[in-house]
Amino acid sequence: MTCAHEESKKEDAMIQFHNVFMSYQRDAAALNDVSIKVPKGDFVFVTGPSGAGKSTLMKLVYAALVPNRGQVLVDGQNITRLTRTQIPYLRRTIGVVFQDFKLLPNRTVLENVAITLEVLGWNKRDIGKKVYHVLKQMGIEHKINATPLRLSGGEQQRVALARALVNDPKILLADEPTGNLDDENKEQILSIFREANIRGTTVVVATHDRRVIDNSHKRVIVLEKGRVAEDTDVPK
Amino acid sequence: MKKVALRRIPMSRNKQSIRPTLSGDGIGDKLRYFISRAILNIRQNVLVNVLTIGTITLALLIVSLFLLVFVNLESTADEWSGKIQVTAYFETEPSSQELAAMLARIKAIQGTDKVSYVSKGEAMERFRSRLKGQETLLDGVPADVLPSSIEITLKRQSREDGAMQAYVERLKNIPGIDEVQYGEEWVRRFNTFMNFLRFVGALLGGFLLMAVLFIVSNTIKLTIYARKEELEVMDLVGATRFFIKAPFLIEGILQGAAGAVLALLILVAAYFGFLHSATNFVNFSSSVTGLSFLPAGYVAGIFAGGVILGFLGSLTSLKRFINNPQ
Repeated sequence: MTCAHEESKKEDAMIQFHNVFMSYQRDAAALNDVSIKVPKGDFVFVTGPSGAGKSTLMKLVYAALVPNRGQVLVDGQNITRLTRTQIPYLRRTIGVVFQDFKLLPNRTVLENVAITLEVLGWNKRDIGKKVYHVLKQMGIEHKINATPLRLSGGEQQRVALARALVNDPKILLADEPTGNLDDENKEQILSIFREANIRGTTVVVATHDRRVIDNSHKRVIVLEKGRVAEDTDVPK
Repeated sequence: MKKVALRRIPMSRNKQSIRPTLSGDGIGDKLRYFISRAILNIRQNVLVNVLTIGTITLALLIVSLFLLVFVNLESTADEWSGKIQVTAYFETEPSSQELAAMLARIKAIQGTDKVSYVSKGEAMERFRSRLKGQETLLDGVPADVLPSSIEITLKRQSREDGAMQAYVERLKNIPGIDEVQYGEEWVRRFNTFMNFLRFVGALLGGFLLMAVLFIVSNTIKLTIYARKEELEVMDLVGATRFFIKAPFLIEGILQGAAGAVLALLILVAAYFGFLHSATNFVNFSSSVTGLSFLPAGYVAGIFAGGVILGFLGSLTSLKRFINNPQ
């Protein structure tokens, strides 16, 4: 019974960090004994000053980094044990957006978003329909043939979000997604996050923008010098 | 407003038409997708591709020009070596039966190409023709003063210094042959020169090939570095390493093939341009200058070299970025 209970608890968590230690250099630890649990369908902000370990935490979730110590579980799977050939299949279930958008400047909006589905082996017709549908949700379907350089910052971030969300990922990771945006665009991006979350995607947003966090009334994990300094989900 | 804009740009008019399809899991379907992706990449990164193809073209042009010069030098040297001749003199003038037997024995020696008997009269005649204008010097000289001889030309493999000495030894063993002359010093010098030529050719060719490999691989590395973001994004959305690499490798092969074809076209143009300026317009032919173009095997080799260069250049450059994309 205990075992089954443990198993169901494990399944409920989308992201779990168990005593994760990560350092790029010998002396400075980017993450120091971090243990967190993000349940399925949760919406979490990760905040803290620059260098607190927010980006490192994100990278560990999509297996761009491997922790020096500890375990990282994504949807019940220990991703620290993944082989190089297994990592792409993990990433197909995770959407990632960045402050600098990482859009390909020489491809159109359609082509930028389509990459995610091409990788999955979708056919051309279905890709066209799905990309148009997602862009419409983001309110930028009229920019489908534009190249990213012709778009505003907010529009570029929405394209990046469309690319991340087009295959309905289990997890959406956003690393300082509103860093380059004005207030109006910030609100639009956050509402897209909320909609994705309502559809069942677990959302983790790393930001040091307190206003964004305060207006959202969501769970907040505060990192300081690589340690969890505060977690609103955990009573002090 | 947006709906109006949408009607103006219907989906059917999207760039979709040139976007490749992934229509199945079959190898053929995937290959088709990768090739069309590679061609699309070339179209979307024209400048980068022009740079790479230009570098490969220049690199292969240098190598093929070097080969062209080397091949012509070799063939000229080969022609010269055909003039190497061994002359055998008799102890006493042989009877026609003895001569026939002797010629048969010489022909049986390995390495013999042509054998011809030069009678005393013929020898005198040759000598006379060499003294053109001063034939009077031979007045009063008996017609049989010069010895008769056998002149032998050798097959290519016996023209080397060592092989030639062995041949001469076997020739001397034939009864009735007194003396053998073959311009020992000339043959030695000629072979030394040829060996030197080959050594310098191999050395220069080796350096040239290394320099070309270095330049091409670095150019490809730079062009792939310029598209690092593309690799990152592909990696981020869960593309397998093969899926990321395949279009780049095909692109590399296409670049290499295009570079090789361009280099060969320029080489052909340069070759005929040279012939044209080296000879007059009427005598416009390679037989006049004695120059020949690269043999088909070399042309195929240069093409294959270009393809391999493009493929390996892309492969080694990709390895660096794909293994550690973040």
